[in-house]
Amino acid sequence: MCLDQRKVSEMTASNEYRFQVNLSGMIQILSNHLYSSPKVFLRELMQNATDAITARTEAEPGFQGEVRVELTGTGEQLTMMVEDNGIGLTEADIHEFLAMIGQSSKRGQQALLDGETSFIGRFGIGLLSCFMVSHEIVMLTQSAKGGPSMEWRGKPDGTYTIRQLETQLSPGTKVYLRCTPDAAHYFEPEYVKEALFYYGALLPYPVILHSDGVQHNVNSESPFWLMEPELARGRRAEVLAFGERLLGEKFQDFIPLTTASGRTGGIAFVLPHAVNLNAKRSHRVYLKRMLISEKAENILPEWAFFVKCLIWTDELQPTASREHFYENEKLEEVRSELGDALRKGLADMAESQTERLQKLIRLHALSMKALAVQDQEFYAMIHRWLPFESTRGHRELGELMSEGETLYFTTTVDEYRQIHHVASAQSMLVINGGYIYDSDLMAMLPQVVQHVQTQRLQPDEVSMSFTDVPPAERNQYYDALRLADSALQRFRCRAEVKGFKPADLPVLFTLSQESSTLRALEKASEESTELFSSVLGSLSSGISSAGYSALYLNINNPIIQRVLTSPDVQMTPIAIEMLYVNALMMGHYAMNRQELEVLNQGIIRFIDWGLRANTDRKGDA
Amino acid sequence: MKTEMDFEDLMDEAYGLPNGTAKLGMLEEAARVADVNGMEEEAYEARSEIVETATFCGYPMKALIAFSWQLGKFDQQPERYDEETLMWSYKWILGELSSFPEVSRDKMMELLEDFGRRFKSFGYSERSYWYYRFRISMDLGDLEEAGTSYTKFRSMDRDFMSDCEACEQDEIMRYWILVGEDEKVLEAAKPILKGRMSCAEIPHLTLSEILMPLYRLGKINEADKHQAKGYRMIKGHNDFVQSFAEQMDYLARTNPAKGIDVLEENIVLAMDHEDPFAKMMFYARAAQLLRRWADESPGYRLRLPASFPYEGDPGDLPKLADYFAAYAKAAADKYDQRNGNQHVSSMLSEV
Repeated sequence: MCLDQRKVSEMTASNEYRFQVNLSGMIQILSNHLYSSPKVFLRELMQNATDAITARTEAEPGFQGEVRVELTGTGEQLTMMVEDNGIGLTEADIHEFLAMIGQSSKRGQQALLDGETSFIGRFGIGLLSCFMVSHEIVMLTQSAKGGPSMEWRGKPDGTYTIRQLETQLSPGTKVYLRCTPDAAHYFEPEYVKEALFYYGALLPYPVILHSDGVQHNVNSESPFWLMEPELARGRRAEVLAFGERLLGEKFQDFIPLTTASGRTGGIAFVLPHAVNLNAKRSHRVYLKRMLISEKAENILPEWAFFVKCLIWTDELQPTASREHFYENEKLEEVRSELGDALRKGLADMAESQTERLQKLIRLHALSMKALAVQDQEFYAMIHRWLPFESTRGHRELGELMSEGETLYFTTTVDEYRQIHHVASAQSMLVINGGYIYDSDLMAMLPQVVQHVQTQRLQPDEVSMSFTDVPPAERNQYYDALRLADSALQRFRCRAEVKGFKPADLPVLFTLSQESSTLRALEKASEESTELFSSVLGSLSSGISSAGYSALYLNINNPIIQRVLTSPDVQMTPIAIEMLYVNALMMGHYAMNRQELEVLNQGIIRFIDWGLRANTDRKGDA
Repeated sequence: MKTEMDFEDLMDEAYGLPNGTAKLGMLEEAARVADVNGMEEEAYEARSEIVETATFCGYPMKALIAFSWQLGKFDQQPERYDEETLMWSYKWILGELSSFPEVSRDKMMELLEDFGRRFKSFGYSERSYWYYRFRISMDLGDLEEAGTSYTKFRSMDRDFMSDCEACEQDEIMRYWILVGEDEKVLEAAKPILKGRMSCAEIPHLTLSEILMPLYRLGKINEADKHQAKGYRMIKGHNDFVQSFAEQMDYLARTNPAKGIDVLEENIVLAMDHEDPFAKMMFYARAAQLLRRWADESPGYRLRLPASFPYEGDPGDLPKLADYFAAYAKAAADKYDQRNGNQHVSSMLSEV
């Protein structure tokens, strides 16, 4: 099945040929599609800088890196300079990385295939993103391997110049951007300071901002426990405060995330508010200690939507937009390890801090249920605190189980609505399984917890709790029931006498799954075109004749007693038909045309009889 | 206690859920509330959502019922509703209808003409008509007719009502599978396998369809890779029951133990499935797999869902295989009768 294209946002194009790229067009595409906002230019520059420092550290162990950002000038002269003391570029590097766009990304892919990659960035594309905020990029660079210092000047139309500088710079790279008028707010010192912290909070070397003659070490407070999350346990207040600064939410709880290899880890902050199942998961992920994504979705298992995480890793490969990771085996492994860490955090709570866990479940029941469905052990651990809607109200499962009764459950809200009144009148314990995961959890419960019985309840099965009418007594109603059955036949329904509560409820209509499908087919068929009606007709002929619904006549009800004890060829069928449509209305079923007609005619007829009885009486008098 | 939710609550609840049975239940309840209260536009809106949700989570009957209602309402007051969404839904319905053997061959053709006439009346490209003619002909086993329609639709221009390229490519691949040209299957699959074409259900479907052609060509390593990746994408999803069948078909020959995992993990989806064709294929391949597994691991007790309607001993694999095979063959007979050929039963020749 193909999705409506107007709803498909990401389409994959295919092309086997090489094409000429219009660079200004490409930049448009970059800013609108690849990157979520122009502000990512700073992230890209930071990534290039940290890549360069990583490379130099590999060549010179013990080397101390540093990133400096300087803001100078105002108005049209407002300029940002980003400098690193990393490996720098030789003239050959410049040609390789900058002359051919996308080159560096190919290298990245190759490196991935080779198993290891120490560069985050695709240098050229990263630099290009700067055209979203600047009409010119100037880069001065000196390679640590020697050679002359170089200057590269690029314009958004794709032209650039390279020249050798006469002076010798110290190794590293400086990038100068002159801001365009509509990008001025990305160059404001306060904004830049926050952004640098945001991207570089975890970097193991200083990030320094100069502006208005003031120098500020942006990431001086990168905490040691972040790299060894187990140590975070004893520092609750500090960890929560750091989470608030970086993620912008007032958290009250967290779970440390660790993996066996130690190459990925972090902190999972428990969201302080309930989350919708379809809400985007947005975890903050640092690759090589540099922020790579603020909305990574696929790094944690699906069920883990109750946390917002701060994660660092050096083993995953980002996608082109660098906001997610490539879905591969490595990611799967990391995801399941992080999931295990979360699960373990919850398990520890279940064991020793049940109050803390209960508080969490009250807020994030859906997330807990999502995990419980997949993981029986976890379900066994937390089942008693999971909330369900039932005929005894909105209760925790432990409370519902405490009476030792069979737990009946429906699979849809519709089924529950049909029967919950009657079921609770018979004091049956029924759980509404129409909410996501609930019926699955109910079905699984006996396998997970000992001495609990659960049973799926179909609407037509609610009658099993009714009292049977003894055969001898039933025999008295034989004629009335025959009349009733033949009146109901055209609705594919049959009558049954039972005793049930409440006594003022004369009749109850129930239908099996097949008869429910049949009803739906008939209803649609009435409204549809001739062609589709006939198609639906052939489909209903394929449904077994078991598709009969039932009208339960309540022997405890005085009107029903009168109907049953005084059969009348003329009156009984009409009374039964009226009781039938009454039951439909009581059950909030949508009626078909035939049923509406019965209702209309019935009302008129009863008015007529009522009036006639009245005049007859007057005549007598 | 909140038991009677109103229309807006139900729709909000539904929009907050991923595609699945729970979402469908909420939407159906919303449609019922709208019906009972005479809110026709709301009832139409809920049904639009039902059609899409049901289509993408394996409930073709529910989709058809909701769509039929919508089409009737639309014809009465076309100015009141959006025709593009409805016509897009028509494609889904048309693509699924042949799975119901009760719908006769004549009816199928009549529906196709109705579809074509409507598309023409809205000024959409005729390509969609020919593309669906191609698909329906394949379903009915008219491979020659499918070939003609294939040539025809490929020569026409796409428009915004055309299925996406990935979906089309997958159908083209299916055509080469049906005519038995495995080399051409691989060729057609190439852009999908290379990741150049993809959509909501592609490559999910492709990665299972390609397994048997690769097997027949002796490319087991490649097939194994696709099998693992494909299964990861579809596991536990109700709308890929036919893909599980394809996986079992392949695994029965190469790795029956893994095949048994696929069977046990997904039988619960197949047993209540609304698409009788997908269910038939699942049961057929399950039978083949169980026979193979009985040889390899006699005495194994298959884990069946508690509600599975099989009275016999789950440890008697040959008997269980017969049970699955009997169901599949009975279903295939119905298709053969409707199609007037042996197209479907010949797919099950090894069962």
